[in-house]
Amino acid sequence: MTDRAADAENHVGRFLTGLGRGVASALFLALPMLMTMEMWYLGFYITRERLLLLLVVNIPLLILLSHRIGFEETFTWRESVRDATIAYGIGILTSLLVLAALGLLRGDMPASELLGKVALQSVPASIGAMLGRSQLGRGMSEDDDGTETPYHSELLLMATGALFVSLNIAPTEETMVLAYKMTAWHALAVIVLSILVMHGFVYAVSFIGGHELQPETPWWHAFVRFTLPGYVVALAVSVFTLWVFESFGNSSAVEMLHSVIVLGFPASLGASAARLIL
Amino acid sequence: MTRSEKGRHHERHDPHWVEWLTGILSAILVIGMLGWIGWETVTREATPPDLTVRVLTTERTTAGYRVAFDIYNTATTTAAAVTVVGRLAEGGRVIEENHVIFDYVAAESKSAGALLFENDPAGRTLDIRPAGYTEP
Repeated sequence: MTDRAADAENHVGRFLTGLGRGVASALFLALPMLMTMEMWYLGFYITRERLLLLLVVNIPLLILLSHRIGFEETFTWRESVRDATIAYGIGILTSLLVLAALGLLRGDMPASELLGKVALQSVPASIGAMLGRSQLGRGMSEDDDGTETPYHSELLLMATGALFVSLNIAPTEETMVLAYKMTAWHALAVIVLSILVMHGFVYAVSFIGGHELQPETPWWHAFVRFTLPGYVVALAVSVFTLWVFESFGNSSAVEMLHSVIVLGFPASLGASAARLIL
Repeated sequence: MTRSEKGRHHERHDPHWVEWLTGILSAILVIGMLGWIGWETVTREATPPDLTVRVLTTERTTAGYRVAFDIYNTATTTAAAVTVVGRLAEGGRVIEENHVIFDYVAAESKSAGALLFENDPAGRTLDIRPAGYTEP
């Protein structure tokens, strides 16, 4: 066998392994949503405009994720777009497969219901597929030496983490029930807790992938530049997912704010986890 | 900007001014939100659910009549499992009674629903009222 043929085979092998990891992690990370009743119902009652918006918003996030951690090391944006497309494809196929296996897709359902169910689930499944390489593949340590993340990418990574966690929790009834039960004092406590946990997660508890400050930088520099914007990003993502899933209904502004704060708690954890993992 | 080396990330000491601008705007938003909620803790007294129904329209459907209505909760507490009963009466005698349950009517909010009747409400007395609720 010539070197070139061996090289090509090696390349195909690595690509197939990447696909396998994608399917595995799409399953692993999206299964909670695939098995959530509210997500099945949303598949048929979610407004088509909002579903479309969610599907479109997912594209730039996948491309950015792919640029960081794609199936193969991606150096150009063209390769990132290709890998993001593959991840979306894996997401759609995995959702289709699992929903069909669980008996949630039947021939007598209207086409729009089938399409809505699969399309909605394909968003978390595609993010899951993309995360596969970082989560289940080899660690980041060997390939990210000395890379610099621009500020806007850092914020977008946080948005992706927040979106993924929000998609897990926003469709459940619990988000609204918690918002209804809580008083303004509880809301204040949740805000403070979210911000503290978010800052501590990234800077204080020294996880692998944690962030360090240079000794001459005061702590509040990172707090103002990263933690507060991160929390605002998490809240914005919470507003977006609650709006997409039509959880707001005709509630008053205060009730809406409460539900955003409730969802903002897991979303802010997702945002800081993204900063650690990615 | 954040520099990543051997799995650890280091925040730069000399950031771009955009990072500070974003940080300050975020701080203003978060403080604004805390201020709003703080204001609520002082001014908003917990009052038990206060429910009222406003009938909107009556329409013919294939099998009967649909009476659409809004239910308002003017209090600062959310009501759960809100039962709304509709009675259609003719000459002081109830000829049809139907009910519907709302999962939630949020505090200071409204929800929309409809009751379905077999008989035409036109020319008869229609009474739609909330019958009960639970705490969420």
